[in-house]
Amino acid sequence: MQFQDITLTLDRFWSDRGCVIAPPFDTEVGAGTFYPTTFLRALGGEPWRVAGLAPSRRPADGRYGDNPYRFQYFYQYQVLLKPSPADVQDVYLESLGALGIDVTQHDIRFVEDNWESPTLGAWGLGWEVWMDGMEITQFTYFQQVGGMDCKPVSVELTYGLERIAMYLQGVQHAFDLEVAPGVTMGDLRRDFEVQHSRYNFEMVNADLQRTLFDAFEQEVVRLLDERLIHPAYEFVLKASHAFNLLDARGVLSHSERQGYVQRVRRLAESCAAAYVAPQDTKEGDA
Amino acid sequence: MPDLLFEIGTEELPSWYVDQGREALHERVTALLEDAGLPYAQVTSFATPRRLAVRVTGLPEATERTTVKRRGPSAKVAFEADGSPSKAAAGFARGLGVDPNALRVETTERGDYVVVELEVGGEPTAEVLPERLAEVVRSLPAPRKMRWGSGELAFVRPVSWLVALLDDTVLPVDVDGLKADRVTRGHRFMAPDPIALDHPGAYEDRLRDAFVLASPQERRDRLREALAGAAAPEGLTPVEDDELLAEVVNLVEWPVAILGRFDARYLALPDEVLSTVMIHHQRYVPLQAPTGELADRFVGISNTVVGDASAVRAGYEAVLDGRLYDARFFWDSDRSQTLAQHAWGLAGIAFQKGLGTVEDKVARVRAVAPLVGQSVGLDEKTMAALQSALPLFKADLATGMVDELPELEGVMGRSYALEEGLSPAAAQALEDAVLPKVSGGALPAGDAGAVVSVCDRLDTLLGFFALGKRPSGSADPFGLRRAANGLARVLTANAWDVSLRDLVAMVAEGYADADVVASEDVRLEVERFVWDRVASLLGDEGVGVTAVRAATAGAPPVVLAARRAHLLDAVSATPAFEALQALYKRAANLGSQAPSGVAPDPSRFTEEEEAALLRSLPAAADGVETVIASLQRLLPGWDVGQGVAFDWTKVDGLDAVLSVKEPLDRYLDDVLVMVDDPKVRENRLALLRAVSDTLSALGAIDEALATSA
Repeated sequence: MQFQDITLTLDRFWSDRGCVIAPPFDTEVGAGTFYPTTFLRALGGEPWRVAGLAPSRRPADGRYGDNPYRFQYFYQYQVLLKPSPADVQDVYLESLGALGIDVTQHDIRFVEDNWESPTLGAWGLGWEVWMDGMEITQFTYFQQVGGMDCKPVSVELTYGLERIAMYLQGVQHAFDLEVAPGVTMGDLRRDFEVQHSRYNFEMVNADLQRTLFDAFEQEVVRLLDERLIHPAYEFVLKASHAFNLLDARGVLSHSERQGYVQRVRRLAESCAAAYVAPQDTKEGDA
Repeated sequence: MPDLLFEIGTEELPSWYVDQGREALHERVTALLEDAGLPYAQVTSFATPRRLAVRVTGLPEATERTTVKRRGPSAKVAFEADGSPSKAAAGFARGLGVDPNALRVETTERGDYVVVELEVGGEPTAEVLPERLAEVVRSLPAPRKMRWGSGELAFVRPVSWLVALLDDTVLPVDVDGLKADRVTRGHRFMAPDPIALDHPGAYEDRLRDAFVLASPQERRDRLREALAGAAAPEGLTPVEDDELLAEVVNLVEWPVAILGRFDARYLALPDEVLSTVMIHHQRYVPLQAPTGELADRFVGISNTVVGDASAVRAGYEAVLDGRLYDARFFWDSDRSQTLAQHAWGLAGIAFQKGLGTVEDKVARVRAVAPLVGQSVGLDEKTMAALQSALPLFKADLATGMVDELPELEGVMGRSYALEEGLSPAAAQALEDAVLPKVSGGALPAGDAGAVVSVCDRLDTLLGFFALGKRPSGSADPFGLRRAANGLARVLTANAWDVSLRDLVAMVAEGYADADVVASEDVRLEVERFVWDRVASLLGDEGVGVTAVRAATAGAPPVVLAARRAHLLDAVSATPAFEALQALYKRAANLGSQAPSGVAPDPSRFTEEEEAALLRSLPAAADGVETVIASLQRLLPGWDVGQGVAFDWTKVDGLDAVLSVKEPLDRYLDDVLVMVDDPKVRENRLALLRAVSDTLSALGAIDEALATSA
């Protein structure tokens, strides 16, 4: 199964189960959880089902393309179901079946994983799903998002696509994956990975990123005053990415790092609070 | 005699909760039965990652019948003039569902009251249980629960099904909309069809047929068998790790051993790195050769029997290879710098706001450790090892390997130090310095590292207490109790003869130039805190708190206090010693009015009892010394808190100590101490002071008296 067939299959699978297939978002995120279609939509009482490819960036995880599994840019497949259905584990296992994995012929395990995102003020309980010792999915029941209790509770499924594809294609390095006939993942991403690894670890202009972080932070505050929640939230993501770059560059002391984490978290929480706040009837609203 | 089966089917529980949840369920159901008046023959509990269950045999058909008496209004207001029940009495009777005319009057201490006797119990077991069982599900204790879907029920993981069977009948247990049935589930993949149970007795057998070993013991036995079976053909044995086994057994319902291998070139990594990667990341069991060295083999425990295990094995091996690749990467890149260079990175790691960075902490420990080393009597070689280890203390915290695998702190310090050619003793000190890591964990193997460990822990306690961050109640966010426990264990195990007060003062010098002040109050507070931990550890060894209080008086070395505590705890129960303690108390009370060290003047004695008492003191003093010496021999140093064999009858010198009892008794009975003549009075007080000074090397022995009080 070619890499793009995997995403197409998952799109079809989750579409058939009532999900909106949302296109990838266009601001850098550390994980699909940061997508507004996950973070914001997990808040409040409205039912919601969404799935789709979620390219993600974790600058510190770059290995210049040397490590077969770790990259600073990678693909997650992200599913959010609200409220969490009672049969979600079975449905998830069916989705593996749709990818051609016979779950009865592997060692599939749900291993405890307590997920927490300090920058999002979010936590949940669930599992890492292991297939033959390899973590292929994170499975999380959100308990709090943006500092607020989730009612109802959403369940988030995050597939590690490269790993699943490597297994399906029997290759040893994610860059050897065939994405489409005659095109490998390496063709698409090798230069990008090597150059960004070098940028993240060696070339990030720390002064610039610190300045940008401060500016993004102020922008969030200014925009929330105007109840421009979506634009404000995008600046939270930008601030978060600036922090991730500083972190990868290795210029943050422990306490400074904690300080940045808390600042991002405050921004994320204020967006969450604004998102669920009852809509004011402002002057000028028609 | 009906049997009950109650099963809570769940999505996969965390492995650490499987045993804990089973025990909690066992306990709650047992309590429920007792509370409801339902005697039983036996309670058996079961648990796997997908279920907690309990079976009760030999229940009665109905709850026990008993009579209870309820008191109503006073007789004065219970009846109308015509003798008929008043409104108040009628209301009381109605409330209990009895006929108002059946009320009778009973005379109590507080007057006459209307009473009614009620027959309770006799309710059918099948009616009593359902709501109570539902409540067990709602209130089963767990450290961290979650909600799911749109419901309000909280449990460790979502509850998927309930089985509640009383013999062949389903009990109508309803937990927030989830209704119990007779249907359980087998193995998630090997037996996916629902299983309808006819009777509680069939539980384990039906599940075993469905590839689920519900009994924890049976699963554990099967796991051990499978492990040994996979390792034996290779001529290898599984590394013994109870914690790992306890975790793995609760990660599976049906353990299957899969033997795997890894690239032998990774054997160049230290064994601790290999086993940490295998155990911590993958829960694989490392295998060792008869020589004790790790082999390039492991056993992974799978949950599923598959037709062809080669894919599972290949998966296990590929993941491990990726992990070892990373470890190898850190091993190589860390060694491209010396530990001394890594130590520069400690300036970037915060220790605690107000107490500086880890580099600051290391500097404080460096400043005080040599002095402490000398005070505990380290020999020249050990001092040299200490001196070369100190500049590298905690340097491994700044390495990539420890950043990735924090549990390797210390181990990597040692490994990298050896690679750079540091002496084995100094390298060992770097590993020892961070021990013990957990309660009950291994203690430092060498003295140099033990000195650093002591200084590090005292530095932490002093710093946090100076900041006012003491543990309160059960909250101990900075692990200060753990630090003090570790300190007490190291000091007792090494039997260092330095008083705790002096140690605290020496380490406090590290804060001489710091922003926070390790004032005398702070130092005393730290001392008291450590004594509390010593008391708690000794308590774990069965030593009473009053014996500890007596033994710790006078700021002794920790090991001396611990020895004296064991002695006082044992002898305080003997009549002879108890009598001595009572006399000592009087002597010490009076004697405290005289200054220490002023010898009584025999020329001022007027009574024979005075001279007799003074004559008895040298023998008693010898006795005390003999006791202390034989304590040192019987308790040369041990890991306090873990228990220690101590036979007080083997302590020499106790008779000599007790020989002071008779002359002291006569002195206190026959000689008036508080006479008018100030010179005689002071001399008599000085004599008592001499008695208490002589005995005080055993501790404030009268404090131990309270044990028998």
